[in-house]
Amino acid sequence: MLATRRFPSIPLASLGFPNRFQRRNSTAAEPPPAGGHLPSIATSQILRTSRERALRTPGLSWNDDEAASSIVNVGRETRKMNVYQAVRDALSIALMKNDNAVVFGEDIAFGGVFRCTMGLAEEFGRERVFNTPLTEQGIAGFAIGMALMGHTPIAEIQFADYIFPAFDQLVNEAAKIRYRSGGQYNVGGLTIRTPTMSVGHGGLYHSQSPEGFFMGASGLKIVIPRSPIQAKGLLLSAIRDPSKTVKKLKLFVVNQNLDPVIFMEPKILYRSAVEQVPIDDYALPLGRAETLVEGSDLTLLTWGTPIYHCETALHMLADPPPALAPHVPAALRSAKIELIDLRSVLPWDAAAIAESVGRTGRLVIVHEAGMTAGVGAEIAAEVQKRCFLRLAAPVKRITGWDTPVALQYEKFYIPDAVRILDGIVQTLSY
Amino acid sequence: MLRSISSTCLPILHHRRIHLGHLPNSQSPIVSTLSFFNSITPDSEKIPTFRVLDGVGKPVDGAQLPEIDAQFARRLYENMQLLPTLDTVLYNVQRQGKISFHMTSHGEEATIIGSAAALELDDEVLGQYREMGVLLWRGFGIDSVMAQCFGNQDDMSGKGRQMPVHFGSPKHHFHTISSPLATQIPQAAGVGYALRRAPGRRSRSIAACFFGEGAASEGDFHAGLLLASTIPSPTLFIARNNGFAISTPSTEQFYGDGIASRGPGYGIDTVRVDGNDILAVLAAVREARKRTLEQGRAVLVEAMSYRVGHHSTSDDSFAYRQRSEVEDRKRIDNPIARFRLYMESQGWWSAADEEELKARLKADVMTAFKRAESLPRCELSELFTDVYAGEEPWNIKEQREELTGLLKKYGDTWEPWRTELAKFKNKGQDLTQSNP
Repeated sequence: MLATRRFPSIPLASLGFPNRFQRRNSTAAEPPPAGGHLPSIATSQILRTSRERALRTPGLSWNDDEAASSIVNVGRETRKMNVYQAVRDALSIALMKNDNAVVFGEDIAFGGVFRCTMGLAEEFGRERVFNTPLTEQGIAGFAIGMALMGHTPIAEIQFADYIFPAFDQLVNEAAKIRYRSGGQYNVGGLTIRTPTMSVGHGGLYHSQSPEGFFMGASGLKIVIPRSPIQAKGLLLSAIRDPSKTVKKLKLFVVNQNLDPVIFMEPKILYRSAVEQVPIDDYALPLGRAETLVEGSDLTLLTWGTPIYHCETALHMLADPPPALAPHVPAALRSAKIELIDLRSVLPWDAAAIAESVGRTGRLVIVHEAGMTAGVGAEIAAEVQKRCFLRLAAPVKRITGWDTPVALQYEKFYIPDAVRILDGIVQTLSY
Repeated sequence: MLRSISSTCLPILHHRRIHLGHLPNSQSPIVSTLSFFNSITPDSEKIPTFRVLDGVGKPVDGAQLPEIDAQFARRLYENMQLLPTLDTVLYNVQRQGKISFHMTSHGEEATIIGSAAALELDDEVLGQYREMGVLLWRGFGIDSVMAQCFGNQDDMSGKGRQMPVHFGSPKHHFHTISSPLATQIPQAAGVGYALRRAPGRRSRSIAACFFGEGAASEGDFHAGLLLASTIPSPTLFIARNNGFAISTPSTEQFYGDGIASRGPGYGIDTVRVDGNDILAVLAAVREARKRTLEQGRAVLVEAMSYRVGHHSTSDDSFAYRQRSEVEDRKRIDNPIARFRLYMESQGWWSAADEEELKARLKADVMTAFKRAESLPRCELSELFTDVYAGEEPWNIKEQREELTGLLKKYGDTWEPWRTELAKFKNKGQDLTQSNP
């Protein structure tokens, strides 16, 4: 009976999108320049490009020195930033407020290959912001050592594709230290930042999304921001010195992070995603998904770069371009799709996802990593357990293929808007 | 960064010993004086650098020049000149958006061509990514270089799957480049060991492994040298110390005396050579190769050079080094100019030769570029091949069928795919017209 579930006819405007399609999906572009850009991101409704919307970011809590003003938005300023500027801003705040914080990694002293550490060495000195030799396992181990001593190391692995030499240190050490020492030692101050996901011309070793490899490493947190506001708030939550937040425990329970975090930054968004970002110190919650578009007919779940492909797909579903119209039955165009940004991949917000799928009866998961044993597999398993009797269609995964990311073939490897559209249509009409 | 040597850090070789015997399970002599050491050379000198030609191509005092004739010298020089000719075109082509990436060899021509010329053509080479010159020396050809960089249907290196400069050719005994750094170093130990066990190649072929001084910081470097010395493997390690790992100068990469100082730690013969002096590189690598074969064990060469070009097309090195520093190095210590001056002094080269060579190389490169640009990519179905060689697993098969279904549905109507499909040989019809 549930399999025949249908949705009511809903006016198009209720989807919350303007009814027009000047935008083209990212896949329409020629290979973007190094650093990358996505045309669809420039016009995304998801990005908060006004001060008012920025200050109303859900879940945002201010980290003021005087706690009294911490809930007031009046007088807060914002500045236009892209993701690398927002990351830099978060690092600057962390360094300024916590003398135990240090920033290091390959090539970070001159600003980093993605410009996330521009000017920090000059501002805070080379003792606190420094280049390391070229050794990812060394960087991770060094960071763990500092964190063991109660410091706040913020280490960079230059590309997520190159995190594997550090896998032993992260999975066998960082994840397990608190447990194996009976809670006596911990590396809660540890944050590993690393650029992730594809840019359209990175090939095998500059395109990977390795978050799934860490899913079994209980003890670690994995966070992937979608935008400048998210990057700053989530990174500050990841970094936040435990001793400092503990003092504010009553007011800032949500800000407290006592566990090591791997913070994966979608590198194509560094320049292309631009928002008004609050200039004050603030936090966004770890372990919490965020609903970007509310809906009742299907839950569309993703994180990082594909969020913008999903947004494009929702536009295309509501108002398909003429060429695609034959593939989008009219009855489905008014479907209300709930778009959720998972944000934290580990631990992931199962309660929020199950609540949504419980309402919609349908789940489509999108990620760039390959399908087999990707993060989508874990989510699908848990959702079918929690929502079995409410599911109207099988959980669908729209992912990269189970092949390496091949350079000249990347536009047919990365799940793009049309694949997401097709997956939504298939799942709605199951 | 200079290191101060305190009086308690005397080199062990000069330490005055009173013989008190040895430890039971060691040849280490027992001494009664507490002394530390921090050098393997007498008087704590830096490890010397071997050179035969000075900055203007004149043999230095006492230099023993390697035996080469005019014909061989001309071949060395032509390959050295081919590198910047290709690099200049590929760099500009990348800037025009026609290829996605490039890495030049500017400044390291002598290191790469000199090493290549000292190896036998069937020595197994495992490179890092800046060793295109080895392939050129071995006759890989400009067309193959262009095909790989353009990722077109003639790209035998990797069917367009890898970024530009990720060459590979079993025919030329050049193992396919991988972007992760230093992974090739322990592999080279294994390749050497396999050669040792291979009838017909035993005592004849070696593995030659290239890497930068930055990659030598990876754990894989230490693992590789340790294995090739402990499990004796005829593997020659050639460190290209060009002074920079992207932006990080070698002064921030290590505190010790370069890469060469590490060789004795693994008990292997080691030499440091002026990497901008092609005849010194040739002589050093010839001798290193000989020792690798004779000992059946690792040997280490550290070639000192300077990365004149940016790290890659994704890098602007003037964000972290002075333009004048680069210009000075190009002028004062230009490996190509040094060898040209030597050749001229031998009567092996003239201005007319130079003019003819440059015009010919440029014409050859432009012809190859135009050809490569006009060719389509491999068939789209190659996206799913070579993951496994045996029976294709269900998931790969189903995913290829899924993409096929999507292409049938949207390949003509979804503009981004339609445009993209046009770039492939057979325009995706190898999938859509297939009968699974």
